[in-house]
Amino acid sequence: MRILVPVDGSDNALRALEYAISTAGLYRDPIEIHLLNVQRPVVSGNVRSFISQEQLHSYYEDEGTAALKAARERIDGSGIAHSAHVAIGEEPASISQYSTQHDCKLIVMGTRGMGNIANLLLGSVATKVVHLAPVPVVLIK
Amino acid sequence: MEFSSPQFWTALMQIIGVNIVLSGDNAVVIALAARSLPPEQQKKAVLYGSLAAIIMRVILTIVAAKMLALPWLKIIGSVLLLWIGIKLIVPEHAGEHGEGGGTSTAMAAIRTILIADLVMSLDNVIAVAAAAKDNITLLILGLAISIPLIIFGSTLILRLMDRFPVIITIGGALLGYVAGEMAVGDSAISGWINDNAHWLHHAAPVAGALTVIAVGKWLASSASARVSQGGVEAVIDLDAQTRR
Repeated sequence: MRILVPVDGSDNALRALEYAISTAGLYRDPIEIHLLNVQRPVVSGNVRSFISQEQLHSYYEDEGTAALKAARERIDGSGIAHSAHVAIGEEPASISQYSTQHDCKLIVMGTRGMGNIANLLLGSVATKVVHLAPVPVVLIK
Repeated sequence: MEFSSPQFWTALMQIIGVNIVLSGDNAVVIALAARSLPPEQQKKAVLYGSLAAIIMRVILTIVAAKMLALPWLKIIGSVLLLWIGIKLIVPEHAGEHGEGGGTSTAMAAIRTILIADLVMSLDNVIAVAAAAKDNITLLILGLAISIPLIIFGSTLILRLMDRFPVIITIGGALLGYVAGEMAVGDSAISGWINDNAHWLHHAAPVAGALTVIAVGKWLASSASARVSQGGVEAVIDLDAQTRR
């Protein structure tokens, strides 16, 4: 039973992870938690023409690693099988596509990760994942 | 133009608009180029990179203020500005990363930062000069507004542009509009236009805006036909690097 937990570095994401870990006993098969952080690509023409692809990717990787740090520390001691990935793309599409490609049967994620103003401006990722993803999505407040 | 006149405030709005779309990413370019340096040098690179961008902008603004009074230069400037607007709308795609392949050395990082500063300052100053319409107060205000963007600019502006691409379209149209305004104000032709074709004062800005949108969208559609990945660029496996 693979569970995908998208992580943006917020406390809500950690609560979602906590919930996913706490449900481990509910399933007949041992669960495997996939942590995924999504970095939006920088689309600015100036950035793309002056900064190389490798530099941008190492930037995304560093940002993603930092966002995933707390979640990985939490799950490392839990004894649950896990992996951590950083996707580069739009959050909803990346989360949905990852769940399909890695055969995750469930997505557990927090709502309102990064503050109300950002949410108001940028829209809720969770709402879009619910619409896009082919598997059930559990939202943790 | 007086502070109380609507033209002043319209021009100021235009200047703020072009500063956001043309300078909003300068700080991000500097920060990303500096990343490959050792940590103790990164802060210096960002500091000097930002200073260089500000100094270039001050010098270019002075040059622009002097030069745009010369005949034909406003027409040349407006053509450049149309191109800057089109460039803004056409997205550069992943395969087309240009310079900066090996910025692992301090020299290479500095070179990337300086070239980026120069290109972005030039774009910005031409656009601000066009919007300022020979008004020195506005030109200096435009310069002043771009400085905090260079220092404090962050990926937030880029993310907003990414989420609301209409900002970029409006920005491009604005550049085309001020390009049209600047072209008809050129001292080589303005006398003739005022006598014979006053309607060009209204038609040229609109034509400029439409040209940028039409050419930009057309180039963008042929560019995006070549790359389409459904919004996901890549996935990096962290365990592959850190565990074993």
